[in-house]
Amino acid sequence: MKINGVQIDDTFAEAFPMKATRIIITAMTLKWAYRAANAIRGFASSVIACGIEADIERELKPSETPDGRPGISVMIFAMSMKDLEKHVATRVGQSVMTTATTACYSGLDSEQKVSMGKSLRFFGDGFQISKVINKRRFWRIPVMHGEFIVEETAGVTKAIGGGNFLVLAKTARHGLAACEKAVEEIQKVPGVITAFPGGVVGSGSKVGSKYNFLTASTNEAYCPTLKGQVKSELTDEIGSVLEIVIDGLDEASINEAMRLGIKAACSFGPAKGVCRISAGNYGGNLGPHLFHLRKLLK
Amino acid sequence: MSALVFTLKNEAKFTLNVASLTPENLEGKTLAKIKKIKIIYGNETVNLDTLFTVKGSNSSDIVIENSTDKLINVGQGMNKGSITIKGDVGDFLGQGMKNGTLTVVGNAGSWIGNAMTGGRIDINGNARDYVGAGLPGDSFGMSNGLINIKGNAGDRVGDRMRRGIIIIQGKSGSYCGSRIHAGTIIVLDKVGKLPGEGMRRGTIILAKKPAHLSATFKSCGNLKMQFLRLLFTQLASIDNDLSLFNKYGPEAHRFSGDLARNGKGEILILQHYK
Repeated sequence: MKINGVQIDDTFAEAFPMKATRIIITAMTLKWAYRAANAIRGFASSVIACGIEADIERELKPSETPDGRPGISVMIFAMSMKDLEKHVATRVGQSVMTTATTACYSGLDSEQKVSMGKSLRFFGDGFQISKVINKRRFWRIPVMHGEFIVEETAGVTKAIGGGNFLVLAKTARHGLAACEKAVEEIQKVPGVITAFPGGVVGSGSKVGSKYNFLTASTNEAYCPTLKGQVKSELTDEIGSVLEIVIDGLDEASINEAMRLGIKAACSFGPAKGVCRISAGNYGGNLGPHLFHLRKLLK
Repeated sequence: MSALVFTLKNEAKFTLNVASLTPENLEGKTLAKIKKIKIIYGNETVNLDTLFTVKGSNSSDIVIENSTDKLINVGQGMNKGSITIKGDVGDFLGQGMKNGTLTVVGNAGSWIGNAMTGGRIDINGNARDYVGAGLPGDSFGMSNGLINIKGNAGDRVGDRMRRGIIIIQGKSGSYCGSRIHAGTIIVLDKVGKLPGEGMRRGTIILAKKPAHLSATFKSCGNLKMQFLRLLFTQLASIDNDLSLFNKYGPEAHRFSGDLARNGKGEILILQHYK
């Protein structure tokens, strides 16, 4: 199968179940909402070492936020409720509450919830005030900029992490141009994020390592500098491989995000250095969600 | 299915306790059975159909027509559906209400929403004293839900309330929010003397400066309250009736008190309309 001359490998991306929450950060201006959102998604590229994967989902108009101010929707993914519980409270506390003029609300309505204001309220040192409005409980924490408003809990839902595809290009410059375009397209799909910096993974990993203290290590089969040294998946003309990893709320949204992303990358074609599209998997043994490239591009 | 309509045949001379006319009590009952429900009229017990004509079938949508202020305990303990009262209604409207909606086209008596724990009460006219308040001897008044009065309310609105929101779109009498433990009271017109007297926590929002404020409230100055922005946005989003909150901004003069009793409550006097 080829799209615009770019070969699509007959393979699949293998994804696994995760837990996800969506939080809404508002501030006096969008600039300050972005500052908080960028702080919360910092060091949240992979659960391997960060504990969570998080990214900005989209900007929100004042009419879409609980307090009528401009806002940002951020999605946070983790492998378990325990991880999510731990990281949401600490990150909202250290990244959002500390950002001037911000407030933080749940962006998901569900039965399962993780604490947010429930833990952070104690920062108010007894001066915090609880308010129930529209059946939602908010905490008003007096802070030096005024009041930090935070919803007691954030809704949690089942989600999928690890949807992915690889862009095999002549050079890193070629691959990056294609990936940037692909990420732009993926960001149009609601309910998905690309948590790595800029949405692109420069150092895709495989499970395990020769060192027993490591759970993940470099994916040597896709490292251009090791082509002659290991059993490589790369042909001569490929000089750089970049990966786009997609977490999403359901299979349909990941499918759509992968389809749009791959098509965008392929639009560059071999003339602009994009040679092949492949995907990362573990032989189908690790995750229950398989995204076959050729199937989703039909 | 058409609404279940109860029409009062003649003007009631005595108080008429219609606590049994709630959606959950009437669910599954035939019209014949409903007509034989016993209600207390004055000091006697009578069959419902001696005082009301009954028609319709949808027990979760109840309408009471020709209502007067003699009807008491309407919607007592209701936990679903809606009751619409066309006319006035007496005391203890929505007492112990848990869920659902109660709408009064006319005026209402005292003790509206006493001990309510959820749901919503709308009064198109005025209400008398003790809206959302606790009875003598009770620790708390209402502990959740929303009461929206388009007209004026009497004295001691929300006395000892524990949680929930009371909106008075007109004037409120004296001692508004007295002894409240928590919750929110909003008065959009004038308020009587000594609002918030003895309040422990909770919020009283006044669109107009009160004539008398107790000396036991301390000014925190004029502030932009992020909480007000959230509250007004959320209230305005509920329905058209409450969309008037779109015109209120977050600027308020904050007073904390009642310092004679813990001092963690607040009175917010709105400064500007949008």
